[in-house]
Amino acid sequence: MELQPIAPASIRLFYEPQGTLRLTVADDRSYPVVKLYQAWPLSMPGRYLSFQDAKGDEITLIESAAELTAEAREVAEEELKRRYFTARVEAVVDIRTEFGVSYWRVRTDKGERDFVVQSLSESCIWLGEHHILIVDVDGNRFEIADRMALDTASRERLDCVL
Amino acid sequence: MPLAQNERVDEDASLAATTRTDRVNASDGEVLIRETADLVSEEGHRFGSREVCVSRTKVSVRDEHGVELLSVPIADIKTARTEPLVGGARLELTTTDGIVPVAEFTASVAARFSEMARGIEQLAKGEPLNIKWKQERTRCAQCDRLLPEKDGRCPACVKRAAVLRRILSYMGPYRKEALIVGVTTLLGTMASLAMPWFTKLIADEVLNADRPLTSAQGMPLLLLYVGGMFLSLALSSGLQMIKGWYVAFLSGNIAKDLRAHVYSSLERLQLTFFDKKQVGAITSRVTQDTDRIWGFLVEGVPYLVTATLMLLGTAVFGFFLNWKLTLAALAPVPVVGVAAVFFWKPMSILFHKVGQKWGRFHTHLNESVTGIRMVKAFAQEEGEFAKFHKRNSELADSGVAADRRWYLFSGGMMFFTGWGTLIAWIYGGHLVMVGEMTFGSLLAAQQLLWQVYGPLQWFAQVNQWFSRAMAGAERIFEVIDQQPEGYDRPEAVHLPEMRGDVTFENVRFGYDKSNPVLKDINLDVKAGEMIGLVGKSGAGKSTTVSLLCRFYEADAGVLKVDGVDIKDLSLQALRRHIGIVPQEPFLFNGTVAENIAYGKPGATAEEIMTAARAACAHDFITAKPDGYDTQVGEKGSKLSGGERQRVAIARAILHNPKILILDEATSSVDVDTEKKIQLATARLVAGRTTFAIAHRLSTLRNASRLVVLEKGQIVEVGTHAELMEKEGEFFKLVQTQQQTSQAIAVVG
Repeated sequence: MELQPIAPASIRLFYEPQGTLRLTVADDRSYPVVKLYQAWPLSMPGRYLSFQDAKGDEITLIESAAELTAEAREVAEEELKRRYFTARVEAVVDIRTEFGVSYWRVRTDKGERDFVVQSLSESCIWLGEHHILIVDVDGNRFEIADRMALDTASRERLDCVL
Repeated sequence: MPLAQNERVDEDASLAATTRTDRVNASDGEVLIRETADLVSEEGHRFGSREVCVSRTKVSVRDEHGVELLSVPIADIKTARTEPLVGGARLELTTTDGIVPVAEFTASVAARFSEMARGIEQLAKGEPLNIKWKQERTRCAQCDRLLPEKDGRCPACVKRAAVLRRILSYMGPYRKEALIVGVTTLLGTMASLAMPWFTKLIADEVLNADRPLTSAQGMPLLLLYVGGMFLSLALSSGLQMIKGWYVAFLSGNIAKDLRAHVYSSLERLQLTFFDKKQVGAITSRVTQDTDRIWGFLVEGVPYLVTATLMLLGTAVFGFFLNWKLTLAALAPVPVVGVAAVFFWKPMSILFHKVGQKWGRFHTHLNESVTGIRMVKAFAQEEGEFAKFHKRNSELADSGVAADRRWYLFSGGMMFFTGWGTLIAWIYGGHLVMVGEMTFGSLLAAQQLLWQVYGPLQWFAQVNQWFSRAMAGAERIFEVIDQQPEGYDRPEAVHLPEMRGDVTFENVRFGYDKSNPVLKDINLDVKAGEMIGLVGKSGAGKSTTVSLLCRFYEADAGVLKVDGVDIKDLSLQALRRHIGIVPQEPFLFNGTVAENIAYGKPGATAEEIMTAARAACAHDFITAKPDGYDTQVGEKGSKLSGGERQRVAIARAILHNPKILILDEATSSVDVDTEKKIQLATARLVAGRTTFAIAHRLSTLRNASRLVVLEKGQIVEVGTHAELMEKEGEFFKLVQTQQQTSQAIAVVG
């Protein structure tokens, strides 16, 4: 179970058969079923990508997708987009609180969405001074990477409830 | 008593909503399952909508405009599953061409797609369609807002009036006392209105500069009036004391009733409620939220009543004195009211923030004190102090901000309320000078005004009290209204005697409905058998036994005890016959004897000692200075690990269940204690149907059968000897354990 050093440039990444990610180390070995994970999805997204085989053992860890060849990088980024779906809030359109339940309408990088948060103080994860993750009643997560970077109106609405 | 929750979905109705295709006439194109996915994978994975339809012949996906994007014939489908992603999941079909992703969706609809996947697989295999397909309401019927809980109620639509009535209903049992409080308040208000009247009389009749009286003439009159003042003073003070006497009674008892109601509801809730929330959040409902309602009932309501009465009384009296002046002097009232409300909103936000900072401060404090061992072991005192300092400072800063705002607010209020006095002097002075009003009346008016404006400043606070009480009430009623565990169903079967036969039939369960932990468990256990559950961590061992205790209900399949579906058994009866010795025994803060007798209160000393002896605990207990009266401390901290285990075993022995669940501790103890624990365990399991999540070799060897679980399915069943011979999964597990664990002397 030791990490065998694999040169990132020698990694071939592709979908074969359709829908299954496969990794081949040039002229060496091939892993028919591979899963790609981010080791630090919240604090350092895109860095430290871990490739794991079907059993869950790590094949290799690369510092970032930039280390891969252009085609492997494309596939890796597509796979990351498939696996990780957290909406990043760009603007808070409306927050209404009624009896401890807050109704949010936000505009995110994935589109507009309405959601409900049962009790904000318990459903708010602070990842940093201004970095927040809000979890709605279904468990969906909405990330505010930097609440100071939001527009004034959004910031005010947020301040009212946080 | 409290109103019942509206629209609770009937359990039977959900069963009726199972989708079946035993209808011979179901045409090929007829859509059998339909659901909308809320994610779109094109254009970089965003929110959107894709409709997935499953018919007898194919699975198709349509976009928002109804254009068909994908169609997969059922005949080509081998398997269907939902692949969990971060922040959602994906429905995938395995066909002859490989994996075809069908749709992506967030956690909001994940469970439904999981059911759909099952349905697709059933159709693909040619089996009749049999899935749970309940149409849940996700939006409120009235206001169209998202519901916090599917099929639950909409907090926004709850009429404040209804909640208020419900809160006030807690005063019901104390109608007499509430009435007394009401009457005394009224009388007290009247008494305090009398004071200004006497002031007027003294000023106008005794001390009037226009009609001076000699001491001999004036004194008796003065004494009379002052006497009147004295009476009014005595009366209002006395009434205040009486009122206080009853208010104290009301407040204590209403709070008590509320807390009791919440606690008893809390105890009867299903475990899923506790799994979702932290202990602190739950206990705060019993303490803080009841406190808020109490605060409103005991401080808010009386204040409101008093202030309103005062205002009315003053207005009436004032009009009687001089309507013009009264009007003028009361003119600032609405201004003050509006200003108060205006100042209050940001004020309450600041207070809310202070509350939150307190919460964070407390959490950190609790944690670092509880984990002080770790702090010291890792030499992190500086680090912890840095964290503490940060939270401490945040708390202080928010407190400073709030307090400063408060003083500004108070000062501002004082300023505005002072206007009333100024107006009274100017206009009143003018009226006196033109002879429309006596000086005495003016003095009286000034006094009256003071009595009104004082309480008026806090008017805005009433709204605050009200909102917070409403919020607190909602959380409490949420607990009280939650569907409790089916404790007292009338048609439940009571098993006075239980043999202990247990059967699992096609049991499926997942804490997260879209991700089953147990898939299709079939097991038949006869009374008295000892079943050893073995498997890697996460295989589903603890979950299996949790289902047996009915801490959770199986998603599919049947669990039977003595041939009866456990859902039909009375919950109390079932649990009385089941005993648990958990991995980390939880002991209550009490004596050793109390802990051993927990399942059988009223056990005699002899019974307790017999159980302790059987558990090899009697010796160490009696050797302690306080013997069986020894206090075990919070969570049993005053006992060592091995001692706690044996007390837990004694507890189970005394409880004498027919079915025993034994979750063996993995931590190792010294050889002697180990031998004692093994002996105690052997005595415990004798004659009972035992489900042991086993780690010790001795337990495994003594088991009638071993059941090997892997990823939620039973892969091997047999005796220890049989499975070792087979050299299958079990053999591999044993090999790994032997390689990594230290040698423990084993009683062979």
